[in-house]
Amino acid sequence: MGEPIIKLDDIVVDFKTKDQDLLAVNHVDLTVEKGDIYGIVGYSGAGKSTLVRVINLLQRPTSGAVQVNGQNILSLNDAELRQARKKIGMIFQHFNLLNSLTIEQNVAFPLRTSKLSKSEKKKKVDELLELVGLADKKDNYPRQLSGGQKQRVGIARALANDPDILISDEATSALDPKTTESILNLLRDINEKLGLTIVLITHQMEAVKQVCNRVAVMDSGEVVERGEILDIFAKPQHPLTKAFIDTTTRLDATLKVIYQQENVKNLPASDKLIKLSYVGDSTDEPLISTLYEKFNVSANILYGNIEILRGTPLGNLIVILTGAASDTEAALAFINGQDVQVTELDPKAQSEVID
Amino acid sequence: MDFIAKYMPNVVANWEGEYGFVGAIQQTLYMTFISAIVSGILGLAVGLLVVVTDKDGIAPNRVIYSITDKLINLFRSIPFIILLAVIGPLTKLIVGTTIGENGALVPLIIGCFPFYARQVQNALVQVDPGVIEAAKAMGETNLGIVFHVYLKEGLPDLIRASVLTIISLIGLTAMAGAVGAGGLGSLAINVGYQRFENDVTILATIFVLILVFVVQAVGDLITRKVSH
Ligand SMILES: Nc1ncnc2c1ncn2[C@@H]1O[C@H](COP(=O)(O)OP(=O)(O)OP(=O)(O)O)[C@@H](O)[C@H]1O
Ligand SMILES: [Mg+2]
Repeated sequence: MGEPIIKLDDIVVDFKTKDQDLLAVNHVDLTVEKGDIYGIVGYSGAGKSTLVRVINLLQRPTSGAVQVNGQNILSLNDAELRQARKKIGMIFQHFNLLNSLTIEQNVAFPLRTSKLSKSEKKKKVDELLELVGLADKKDNYPRQLSGGQKQRVGIARALANDPDILISDEATSALDPKTTESILNLLRDINEKLGLTIVLITHQMEAVKQVCNRVAVMDSGEVVERGEILDIFAKPQHPLTKAFIDTTTRLDATLKVIYQQENVKNLPASDKLIKLSYVGDSTDEPLISTLYEKFNVSANILYGNIEILRGTPLGNLIVILTGAASDTEAALAFINGQDVQVTELDPKAQSEVID
Repeated sequence: MDFIAKYMPNVVANWEGEYGFVGAIQQTLYMTFISAIVSGILGLAVGLLVVVTDKDGIAPNRVIYSITDKLINLFRSIPFIILLAVIGPLTKLIVGTTIGENGALVPLIIGCFPFYARQVQNALVQVDPGVIEAAKAMGETNLGIVFHVYLKEGLPDLIRASVLTIISLIGLTAMAGAVGAGGLGSLAINVGYQRFENDVTILATIFVLILVFVVQAVGDLITRKVSH
């Protein structure tokens, strides 16, 4: 376990109005460790923004405790809170740049009250613009930039005071896939180069897959599942997590097609339709050939997919095991003993029988 | 010159002197300028107060907001011509007279600044709340947000609002002129209208129009300069 840098403890945010009582965040605990890129996913209205805005107290929680960098944020006075906020950068879906200022002035904006000398500030701004690849745009105005470029300015601005934490609230949601990828790569670079901890809100599981090492899934103000990215992708528990993962693997859609195939529709009782999921090293073992040699069971691969999650492969195979009934049972037992997760599929029920 | 003498005999007769065109133009400019500056400062301050203390503002305060908001509405509901009369005693207290261009200043300012405050409010609520939120997240103070976000980002709209206000202020000075404040309005009514010297009325109107056009043109120029 690394060192915790953000600790949210039993956070409740209650938006009370005359006629209703909206629990936007409902007793959430969340610990982010130094160096994490922590993804927070969930559908619109799940309470993601509200939860992360508690980290820099843009949103005061109704109850709960907030520790950031070892500091009890809730006990700070106004001046101390402003100081603490300078160490928590934030980027936004709609960039939120000042249209009246040039790119250079936008990046310099958070440095207005800093103790750096004029030349040090200028040097800092130049370095940041270099880092995000916009040195040549410094005299332009935000209106003259594309969405991706604006977000780069947002990132440079968020880094001006050398923060320890960067909060990204749907920072790529308004961008096309290619631009999204380049922004995500930039975030990962910053995470590696500057050791910055990043909290990344998104509804794009693709983004989580690309950069996050941990993820929390939110639904109706609660965190329904959380963990290391590989664990979550390999063994999702909550239906919402499964639905989100399916948005990148499209496994559900694939299964629907497979269930319509003749050989699957008329599957003999002795044969088994299974899904194999494996992480990392297990891919090196010659599983399929072992099945044939040891159990005389042949495996017919209907579908295969490998995701690379931060450098680790995560595979999904859908296969039909064919052989004598006792042999296929034995083969199943053998696979279960390996580092491979087996899910038996039932084409008639058109759903997974075993989880 | 012959042309003017022929078609506008009364203009020539009424050109110079305190009650002539030269004096009237000076008086109108004086009233407009002084009350624009004072109303500008007051209106900006009050407008900012309403924006900042609004429930979505950076320092929400229900009491201050609703009192200020209601006062603005109250003053804006009093017709100017009645305002001139009703605040006579106050005017006398502040500038010592209720007539002449100085006597007009107090009612002009009181008639104008609530209007401007509302215009300022309308301009500043257009500033993207996301940018305000970003500034907060950067550890900006409320004062910093007012000066470096609201007033900077809202500048083009503020200038438009100011132009609108100055133009309506010119209208008010003319109205004040009718009840003894001097200026082009006074000339048009007291000389042109009352003595049936139509050429005077027409020329006074033309001068008022020129003034309005100049203000509008300068405003447009500045707006174009400051919007990016
Ligand atoms: N200031 C507020 N006052 C009242 N209700 C609010 C406020 N902010 C958020 N809410 C409500 O709280 C709930 C959670 O909102 P939140 O913005 O945190 O969701 P989200 O997960 O970020 O959604 P999205 O993906 O659309 O950004 C929503 O039902 C929203 O309407
Ligand atoms: Mg949100």
